[in-house]
Amino acid sequence: MAQDSGTRTLISQAQIQRGRGKVVYWTLLALTVVIFTLVFIGPLYWMVTGALKSGQEIAQTPPTLFPKHPETRNYADAWSNLNLAKLMFNTFYYAIGAVFFQLVFDTAAAYALSKLRPIFGNVVLGLMLATLMIPAMVVIVPQYVTAISLPFVHASLIDSPWAIWLPLVANAFNIFLLKRFFDSIPEDLIAAAMVDGASPLRTLWSIILPMSRPILGVVSIFAVTYVWKDFLWPKLVMPSPETRTLSVGIYAFSGGTPMNVVVAASVIAAIPTVVIFLIFQRNIMSGLTAGSVKG
Amino acid sequence: MATTISFQDTKRKQRGPAGVNLSGGTRTRRGRRLRDNLTGYAFLIGAIFCFALFQWFPMIRGIVMSFQHTRRGVTTWVGFDNFVRIVQDPSFWTAWKNTFYFTGLALVLGYAVPFVVAILLNEFRHAKGYLRILVYLPVMLPPASALFLFKYYAYDPSDAGLFNAILKFFHLPTSQWMQSPTMTMPAMVIASTWMNMGAAVLIYLAALQNIPGDLYEAAELDGAGLLRRIWNVTIPQTRLILALLAMLQIVATMQVFIEPLILANGAGTQDSATSVAYLIYQHGFFQNDLNGAAALGVIMLLVLAAFSAVYVRLTTKQD
Amino acid sequence: MSVPQYRRAAALALAAGLGFSIAACSTKGGDDSGKDASGKTVITVDCQPDGSQKDLLANWNADVAAFEKANPDVTIKSVSVGQQCDNPPDFTARLTGGTMTDVFYGYMTDLQQVLDSGQAMDITQYATKDNIPTWDSVDPALKAVFTDSGKIYAIPTKNYSMGLLYNKTLFQKAGLDVASPPKTWADVRTAAKKISALGGGVAGYADYSAGNTGGWHFTAELYSQGGDMLSTDGKSASFNNPMGKQVLQNLKDMRYGDNSMGSRQLLQWADLLTNAAAGKVGMFVGAPDATTAIVQQFQGKYDEWAMAPMPGQDGAAKGTLGGGEGYFFRKDLTPEQVKAGLKWIAFEKLTPGKGQFDYARAKPQNQPVGLPQPLLFANGSDAQKQELDQRKANQNLPTENFALFEATPVPIKGEPKNAQAIYAVLDNAMSGVLTNPNANIDDLLKTATTKVNQLQTAGS
Repeated sequence: MAQDSGTRTLISQAQIQRGRGKVVYWTLLALTVVIFTLVFIGPLYWMVTGALKSGQEIAQTPPTLFPKHPETRNYADAWSNLNLAKLMFNTFYYAIGAVFFQLVFDTAAAYALSKLRPIFGNVVLGLMLATLMIPAMVVIVPQYVTAISLPFVHASLIDSPWAIWLPLVANAFNIFLLKRFFDSIPEDLIAAAMVDGASPLRTLWSIILPMSRPILGVVSIFAVTYVWKDFLWPKLVMPSPETRTLSVGIYAFSGGTPMNVVVAASVIAAIPTVVIFLIFQRNIMSGLTAGSVKG
Repeated sequence: MATTISFQDTKRKQRGPAGVNLSGGTRTRRGRRLRDNLTGYAFLIGAIFCFALFQWFPMIRGIVMSFQHTRRGVTTWVGFDNFVRIVQDPSFWTAWKNTFYFTGLALVLGYAVPFVVAILLNEFRHAKGYLRILVYLPVMLPPASALFLFKYYAYDPSDAGLFNAILKFFHLPTSQWMQSPTMTMPAMVIASTWMNMGAAVLIYLAALQNIPGDLYEAAELDGAGLLRRIWNVTIPQTRLILALLAMLQIVATMQVFIEPLILANGAGTQDSATSVAYLIYQHGFFQNDLNGAAALGVIMLLVLAAFSAVYVRLTTKQD
Repeated sequence: MSVPQYRRAAALALAAGLGFSIAACSTKGGDDSGKDASGKTVITVDCQPDGSQKDLLANWNADVAAFEKANPDVTIKSVSVGQQCDNPPDFTARLTGGTMTDVFYGYMTDLQQVLDSGQAMDITQYATKDNIPTWDSVDPALKAVFTDSGKIYAIPTKNYSMGLLYNKTLFQKAGLDVASPPKTWADVRTAAKKISALGGGVAGYADYSAGNTGGWHFTAELYSQGGDMLSTDGKSASFNNPMGKQVLQNLKDMRYGDNSMGSRQLLQWADLLTNAAAGKVGMFVGAPDATTAIVQQFQGKYDEWAMAPMPGQDGAAKGTLGGGEGYFFRKDLTPEQVKAGLKWIAFEKLTPGKGQFDYARAKPQNQPVGLPQPLLFANGSDAQKQELDQRKANQNLPTENFALFEATPVPIKGEPKNAQAIYAVLDNAMSGVLTNPNANIDDLLKTATTKVNQLQTAGS
């Protein structure tokens, strides 16, 4: 992917195309590609093939590059003994729900803060953004106590998906991103809809949302990834083997399961997010930079 | 029934909710304003409910809990007892020492390195897409999966471990990794950096791409060498994002939890891996001391708040 | 978007939201009256064997079916909480969150924790012969462990005491006499040296140092020295003395003096057993049921393992660690549920010839039959005689494997108060000695003492 020669960086295009610069550039490029592949793909390769090795082979010194007799037994054991199917289903279910609730409530909130601007809206926004400053580990204990016994109703959210969905809606970063996006939608579009007599809900649905597909896509992907990767909170609020998430389930079994099986399970757990990444990499990368371009 | 927008209406509404005109119904200005506000809050109510329940209320509750003691269902106020007890835990100072060590080391490895990598990647005109995918791939792995990889394969203290095998290949001394009190923290930082640097690299890359090329031209014409160009152009231009990411990283690494838990089984050998976050977990969920854990959380909050205040002061002073 | 399309989409969104809500609410389930739709009493029971223990799981399920057939008004829902039924942080989390099953498994040392959480039910009035046929035969000492202020809170289902397990095959290979296992720690050291000389990553002696199991073994080894973990009033640590030091010194000598403990340390419960099952451990401190675990969960061979009494420092051991487990009842159960739970526990755990004592079934499954423990019934009682007879009849273990252990009784000391938290502290001392060649034993014990004193005064 060649860079357009218009934008210039540290080193000029001309320098790269000439003589010594050219040699240095290509050497450095080749070296970087090789090193990056080794550093970032290497461990993954090791993980996948290690789980294909038998218990004895993995303890061999020096370690073999490729399993002598690849056996899928570890993967099969991981799947059945750790009940990976159930764990995957659980995590998937929580992820989809998280996307749904975040999209519905965070979008509505961002819309209200951006366009509807009710009284004290700034205060609400400020309070929400202030939560970005609260470190997660500081509130995790009271959050847990709240989940065990909700105020007033004294119901317990433990082992219920709501324990995962509700806290995720309280995502100030999402609201910030969405609000900023909505802010950039020109007022005349909204005004035009008003002329047609559209209610706020209608405006949101028919005008704003279709235009926001990119940002909504980014929010969704990040929501799914976050749920898939989250560890401590699901560990606390979904303790039952029936409701556990993938990472927590694998960890719960890691104490008594042969290590190759644990790694095989880890590989299986990593596949969905890697697949999501490979499919949606452009969206993900653009979403990452969306919040940072302003610097 | 549509209401036509008159010029006067528009003017009136400019003081109220922006541009939204609710048709029909309320005739009075106050009635309309009330209805607008109610509608606005109707949209907000879901998010507000969740924020209240899981952010605002817990924040207050955490502080309250740190001054209480609950046992067998009975809650009493105990003043600073919890704080005293937490500070007297022999692991308290070790945990802070470990956490600062981790944060510091992570600043070097996990902050400086991604920036350098981003600068390097920015210069390439080829294979950029491939390299970006590679560097970000570990970020997409569930941390538990990645850490098990490190725990069992990479950090195996025998010669069969991946890292030890590589070290041996280069005729370097092998390490005991997680079983050595001195190597424990560097090992955790290496694992953590591998897992997380991709995000930082990409954010830096985006910021670097926004630097106007003429600045570099000018610098080069002035005779500035490579390093000088970086110092005089690249860094000042990305100052804001560098400052922001530094702060975000420090706040995040101060709360390190999953690396000690999975790599070191919690405390690690001779408490070399205990982090403050792990101590909170230990008190709250191992020792049934939720109030102590809340107290430690408050202490952590104060430390981070103090740090942020100092940090913001330092970085804004430069302007 | 036109109005009808808008309506359709809104309806879809509403349906999705409702769908999530309904699904989410219904997964919680749980009827407070303890009865299901058909009026049967329903109880949830945990510590069901997990998927990797196929035979044990099949046995459990068969037992549940048989029990339900004999008690048509009871339905049992089994829950497996993982490979270690009482994994300390998970157990604490379940207590804190109130998510235990109706009848839940716990260690003898968990009584205080369970009481503190306010989640336990007093079952004194129900613990009778009507619900547990063999109740009068159960060893009173075991009943006492689960009693507080005269009230019974749990039923004992297993007990154990620690000794020295050793691998006969490795002993033979190393030229050691299988019939004459080490009696003192010095003997252990000598034997360990010979066994680790076999090479191939074999550890002559292995010990724990993580996951609370390090502290657990420290306690056992301290008892063998004649020491105690806590003072008599239970308020302060009492292991920072020559006896405690000797425990750590023995380990240090083997680990770094002779290098006979293997290079991989920071072992938790399952790690050591995995190594043992793979034939990489010569000796380790443990209870007879470690053999069961080795065979059932880690694919080891039961006839390889023999057991000697706990080694002492200058002769016979002055004491050894004993413990056990049982089933607690969660508060607010209906009387029918409590009775059902008791009957199930009696059936599965306290009936000679059934459940865990069904030796006739265990033998063809290659489970070790003939282990000296659990010894749940009082000496001389009918139940005990029955159980011992059946054991002998179906024994598949060579008698001599456990003969020495059985023949040499060592005074059994129970686990200290606040055991799990104390064990976590001592993990550090164990890991220090086993991973740091320059570890200062005095410092390690001093730090541990300070921490344990704190724990006891905090009393939380």
